[in-house]
Amino acid sequence: MMKKVFALVVVSALCLAMFAACDTATAPAPAGPAAVAGDVDLTDFVIDPSLIPQAKLDTTLYLAVSIRGVDNPYLATIYEGMMMFSEYLDGIGQKHETQLLDSGGSNDREVNNMRQFAARAGGNAIAYSDPNENAIAEALAEAMAESGGFIGTAWNKPADVGPMDYTPNWVIHTSPDNVKSGYEISVALFEFMGDSGKVFVVEGMLGNTAASDRYKGFEMALAEYPGIEVVGHDTGNWATAEALNLVETWLNMHPDVGGIWCANDNMATGALQALDRAGLRGTVGVVGIDANTDIVEAVRDGYAVATVSSNGWLQGGYTLAICYAAWTGLIDVASLSPDYREFATPALLITIDNAADYLANPPVFDFSRPFDAKDR
Amino acid sequence: MAREARASMSITEEFAAKIRKDNQKDKIIRFAPIIVLAVMSLVFSAINGRNFASVSNFTTILNQLAIPLLVALGLTFVIMIGSIDLSINGTVGMSAAFLGVLVMNSRNGMDLGLAGVLLAVLASVAVGMLIGLIHVHLKIPSFMVSFAFMFICRGLGLLSYQGRPPRILDPVLTEIPRMSFLGMPAITWVALSVLLLCIFIQEYTAFGRYIYAVGTDETILHSVGVSVKRVKVMVFTLAGFCFGIAGVLGGIRLGQGDVTVVGTGLMFPAQAAVVVGGTALSGGKGGVINTVVGVFIMTVLFNGLVIMRVNPYIRTGVEGLIILAAVTLTVARGAKVISK
Repeated sequence: MMKKVFALVVVSALCLAMFAACDTATAPAPAGPAAVAGDVDLTDFVIDPSLIPQAKLDTTLYLAVSIRGVDNPYLATIYEGMMMFSEYLDGIGQKHETQLLDSGGSNDREVNNMRQFAARAGGNAIAYSDPNENAIAEALAEAMAESGGFIGTAWNKPADVGPMDYTPNWVIHTSPDNVKSGYEISVALFEFMGDSGKVFVVEGMLGNTAASDRYKGFEMALAEYPGIEVVGHDTGNWATAEALNLVETWLNMHPDVGGIWCANDNMATGALQALDRAGLRGTVGVVGIDANTDIVEAVRDGYAVATVSSNGWLQGGYTLAICYAAWTGLIDVASLSPDYREFATPALLITIDNAADYLANPPVFDFSRPFDAKDR
Repeated sequence: MAREARASMSITEEFAAKIRKDNQKDKIIRFAPIIVLAVMSLVFSAINGRNFASVSNFTTILNQLAIPLLVALGLTFVIMIGSIDLSINGTVGMSAAFLGVLVMNSRNGMDLGLAGVLLAVLASVAVGMLIGLIHVHLKIPSFMVSFAFMFICRGLGLLSYQGRPPRILDPVLTEIPRMSFLGMPAITWVALSVLLLCIFIQEYTAFGRYIYAVGTDETILHSVGVSVKRVKVMVFTLAGFCFGIAGVLGGIRLGQGDVTVVGTGLMFPAQAAVVVGGTALSGGKGGVINTVVGVFIMTVLFNGLVIMRVNPYIRTGVEGLIILAAVTLTVARGAKVISK
């Protein structure tokens, strides 16, 4: 209830602000929906259904998420994010259909899926895409641009291409901040250890952007905690079994280890199994990233210290919401400043304080405020 | 007349000399893997001292050895008949997934206990048999059939838990990774029993002899009236059994019935272990004991390098170089040996 009241207040405040802006502007108010101009702060941008023309609401809009599949818990949350946004669209009376574009980890299939989807929808399409690899991000945007639909990408894209190259169809590119996540779990781990002691470091696949960013975050934190000593450091290649073997081997040499830093939760699972076998579960701190259910439960029960949720619901739902705002004309993509076209999405640090909450209910999102997805 | 006699003599002599030389070479090759393992262990002991050469580290090696050993054992027989099995990652992952959803777990209300374990192994046995049957009756190369089954099994595994892998909660199964007997982990005891079974099959059964015969020359078996097809199907079934046990133990060791978590990165190390141990990819040569040594070489290598704290950026590369060196020393080569 409070949320609705708050939303109402914000909406009216924004309407008033827009009236004020119109008063001073020399140009007459546009006949269509009022597009937000580039110099307006989008922090408080709200999708106002009353500004959407009835013709748009009556047009069937095609929604899609293009991902590797739904075979891991994180990817499943992306899909669920679309379904949550779909409920929101039902609420405001937007006709729409949803679709899962499953690439199965194949670049070709992902691009073909997107092409077919965009062509079929003939411009009335919005999509969230997690490009299988950097190289295909542009092809996906191009496929959407050809048919006039709107796309938002996440995680992977080459540094030299971006949404600005396909205005207005490539609306945004976002990614959770891996350096920050790596840093936050490190700090949580070092605090748990009382600022001193030995740690093992299990890195992700070497050469992988996410892996090196997360490790960068660890190094930043390590520099701030001089009492922490790294006594084991190797790569577990994101894999549970490899992490288990590493930690098992190190534990023989350093049974007095105080913490284990893992670049993802799959490897944290391996570390926990190794500790379990050595009878050290619960005394040695373990951290990971991804918020796999077993690790969140371990955090809740005190066996692990922290993990980070990349917040797939938010990524999937808000990306589609921003694309929706572009499709309805509520925002003018061309006038958005670059920092609203490429930005970091907030990740959620899960510690013993909020683990139970996180498990009990997925977070609630207000899709009328899509730019809440921008990390501040 | 005299000239002919001398010529035939010299041919016999030449032949005998050649056999003697071959036998000598065979002997060296037979012991080469053991020598490689011994040298490797000595070097690691010299560099790492007590960190490497300790009882607790040996226990760790035994623990880490169990699952690769099971996988490699199954593969050994397949390679001995001159075939290949690429389904490993799929079958192992599938049995782990089936185990996960059949015993007490975090996903559903199942609680079959030991029956769940047996069913999971049985599924893999069935897949092995199916691969064998399709391979011999439809005459499709084994690598192709097994490759297809890798995907089929992975799919079945994923389907069994619908995208959210189960955690194993069965109180007995979760206790197993912690258990040990006579200082050796329980998981390793299971692997050891399967090893003994495989040695028995290879050395003391007719089937074991047939395996060598198929690898050497199938026509020999044809001519004495033994069904080569049946031998082959049995070999793939046996391999399926080993992979199934590996999957179940992998699931237990990692505490999860996850296809990708348990069934990843097993296949190529297993192939390497078999070959490093001295079993020829062309079939007919080598055997179970060779594979044991090969798996020891691979496990000790990983363990030793990790203890040495070799920079992770070069560890993988170094591992590859040492494997190459080991294969160079242990694999039989020569004009007669077909390299494929």
